[in-house]
Amino acid sequence: MAAEPVVRMQGIVKRFGPVVANDRVDFELLPGEIHALLGENGAGKTTLMNVLYGVYRPDEGRISVGGSEVSFRSSTDAQRLGVGMVHQHFSLIPVFTVAENMVIGLRDGHRRLEISKVKADIARTARESNLNVDPGKVVGQLSIGEQQRVEILKLLYRGAAVLILDEPTSALTPQEALDLFSTLKTLRERGKSVVIITHKLYEALSIADRVTVLRKGRVTLSSIRKGLDEEALTEAMIGRRIESKGFERTTIAGQGSMRVENLVVQSQGGREAVSGASMELRAGEILGIAGVAGNGQKELIECIFGLIRARKGRIVLDGLDITSYSIRKRLEAGLCYIPQERKTRAVAIDMSLMFNSIMHDHWHEPYVRREMLEESSIRKLTKGIISKFNVVTPSENSKAGSLSGGNLQKFIVGREMSRTMKYLLAVNPTSGLDVGAADEVRKTLVDHRNQGKGVLLVSEDLDELLSMCDELIVMYRGKVSNPIPESAFDKLKIGAMMLGSGQEQTAGSTVKAGS
Amino acid sequence: MGFDVGSVISAVLAGMVPRAMPALLAATGENVDEIGGILNLGVEGIMLMGCITAFLVDYATGSILLGFVAAGGVGMLFSFFHGVASITLRADQVVSGTAIWFIGWGLSGVLYVAAFGFSASPVKINTLASVSIPYLSGLPIVGQLIFGESPVFYLALVLIGGIQYFLYHTKPGLNLRTVGEDPRVAEMMGVNPIRYRYGALLFGGLLAGIGGAYITLVIVGSFDYDMTAGIGFVAVALVLFGKWRPWRVFIGALVFGGIYVLYLTLETALPSLPYQFLEMWPYLATLGFIVVVGKRANPPAALAKPYDRGE
Repeated sequence: MAAEPVVRMQGIVKRFGPVVANDRVDFELLPGEIHALLGENGAGKTTLMNVLYGVYRPDEGRISVGGSEVSFRSSTDAQRLGVGMVHQHFSLIPVFTVAENMVIGLRDGHRRLEISKVKADIARTARESNLNVDPGKVVGQLSIGEQQRVEILKLLYRGAAVLILDEPTSALTPQEALDLFSTLKTLRERGKSVVIITHKLYEALSIADRVTVLRKGRVTLSSIRKGLDEEALTEAMIGRRIESKGFERTTIAGQGSMRVENLVVQSQGGREAVSGASMELRAGEILGIAGVAGNGQKELIECIFGLIRARKGRIVLDGLDITSYSIRKRLEAGLCYIPQERKTRAVAIDMSLMFNSIMHDHWHEPYVRREMLEESSIRKLTKGIISKFNVVTPSENSKAGSLSGGNLQKFIVGREMSRTMKYLLAVNPTSGLDVGAADEVRKTLVDHRNQGKGVLLVSEDLDELLSMCDELIVMYRGKVSNPIPESAFDKLKIGAMMLGSGQEQTAGSTVKAGS
Repeated sequence: MGFDVGSVISAVLAGMVPRAMPALLAATGENVDEIGGILNLGVEGIMLMGCITAFLVDYATGSILLGFVAAGGVGMLFSFFHGVASITLRADQVVSGTAIWFIGWGLSGVLYVAAFGFSASPVKINTLASVSIPYLSGLPIVGQLIFGESPVFYLALVLIGGIQYFLYHTKPGLNLRTVGEDPRVAEMMGVNPIRYRYGALLFGGLLAGIGGAYITLVIVGSFDYDMTAGIGFVAVALVLFGKWRPWRVFIGALVFGGIYVLYLTLETALPSLPYQFLEMWPYLATLGFIVVVGKRANPPAALAKPYDRGE
């Protein structure tokens, strides 16, 4: 293409202490294109775009926007020149209306806030770019997909010509992702340039005009999409080919089950978060819970583990009613929990791995004898976890907080697996992990199942659920669907159920979605 | 003395507004602070500094107006200290605010003793007279309640209307609310959270100082050690009671003033009741409000959280 690039970044270097996040990166964005910036977690994609957006200042390198060299000191500077970014954590105030969110910090010479005029302007911009948003709604009441539309609309309203979206589909249902892609295409037709940061190959291949791949802070590939395939992209991303796909699953009919009967749970705000949920997790099975975040999954799991008291209903473990048990008694009964918030709930980050390894076993032998810690057996346990689950750490004395996200999660999963337990509750166990670590974690969970034990897996990653689960339940507004057997997995249908449609039941086509 | 319900009611109605004013001013200022995300527990100390400053300036110059102005200035100075500690140095706001309270508490007493020594009879100054609006103030009950007040009350009405307009109908007001909800977002959108927080804090300090001055210059006419008796903390509580809405805070302050006068009236009407018991009332009522309302309160999301711009 002969067009002059709207953004040109040359030789960008960005360091954080000893870590080089971007190492002499060149990046070009053409007008009217969708450009996928691909790479694993920690490859430096978001850092590079934050440099462009003025959030970070590069240590070396030059940036030009619209043909002239720039040096942004803040994201406000970038916005002024038409560069806008939607971060993974939205920059929205949930208690404000859509219209109010649009005009925060806007300087247009008027001090008065004429909200009705703002609303009219927004409605016009929304119509032009085919974004369906009600400017009078309070943002906190919108779905994640709608909030994302508000973010995009906000950038357009404030005059952005370049839109950067960081992992835009990570919290969306498949339908919402399709809607987003059609919006992006509309924007491209209107001459806007779009960067989508992603680690999903098929997204890059299905929507982008050009693809740039980063690995460990360096560009490993930059080309027009035509002629690229998954293999080429994978190799550029990871530096090797991924050997196996799917998991080895051997079916052992496990004994017993964990039953949840008519469980009603209130959230902290007093809202009814789970309204009458029933399910059965059989030993030797992975039962998945799909749903958009905030539909009661968190409360359900916390209630089963005993962090929140049940309002109504029962939890029965192999015939034993544990509804009124303390957490310790639940642990002893064979229950285990891998929370989503690794650093705040799963470990004490300032304590060593050794002491973190007995967090769920700190009261019994061989780790404790007569109220005294038995260091040698704790050390043996910790070393075992480290070697068996490939945890990369200098020693068992290292603080838990010093581990990278992937290694910490491998440690946490390993710790739970080393316990004598039967039913595991896991919430988004692979979120934020790079492909390698996520794979290892998934494999460990499937192994657990293969030993005839049960896993209740909550995940926002539908592909993960589809590839691992024996049965799946969809949660929407605190209600659970009937279980869908693996033979009836249908990605689009389940995606629709996540948005509340077809609360009844699955039937009909049984297309198995690939991952 | 006999107990006459009618006279108690009319006394409460006549006296509630003046008694409410110090808490009203301080709470209105604290409300603006908190909407910007700053919790200022130093209000009590700042009010005491307002009391002593207004008293000394009035005593020296004979000008009530100068007393108010100086008290407002000192209020701003002390809230600036809180700002340096909690905004710039990102100290814990509760700790910093408590320090401000202690300093104001002690320093105000020291200044009084330094000026007048330990004297048995309090030094008196003239207080501000009420301005009666002709004809209207002659109306029964309502006339006394609304149209027979000191000029500060009318200014306060204008002020609260102004704050309401500023917060919900201007862009700087929206920006301030954003800073209180999420300073990171504010910064991303081109708003300087530090500047807005200082601005809100100084404004709150100004009102707390004037609220303190009101006690000496309008109500009492003399200075007494720890004379605010917790009104600064009541102000903080009123913000919660008012759920950060200026008019609700206003109404809360009037109710507090009414209960305060009720206790003063009952103290004379029922001398057999221990006064300590009655003295407890306004504070007990405040606590009660908070227990009832506080549960459902929805504070600014970034309230009392230091903002680190970081990288």
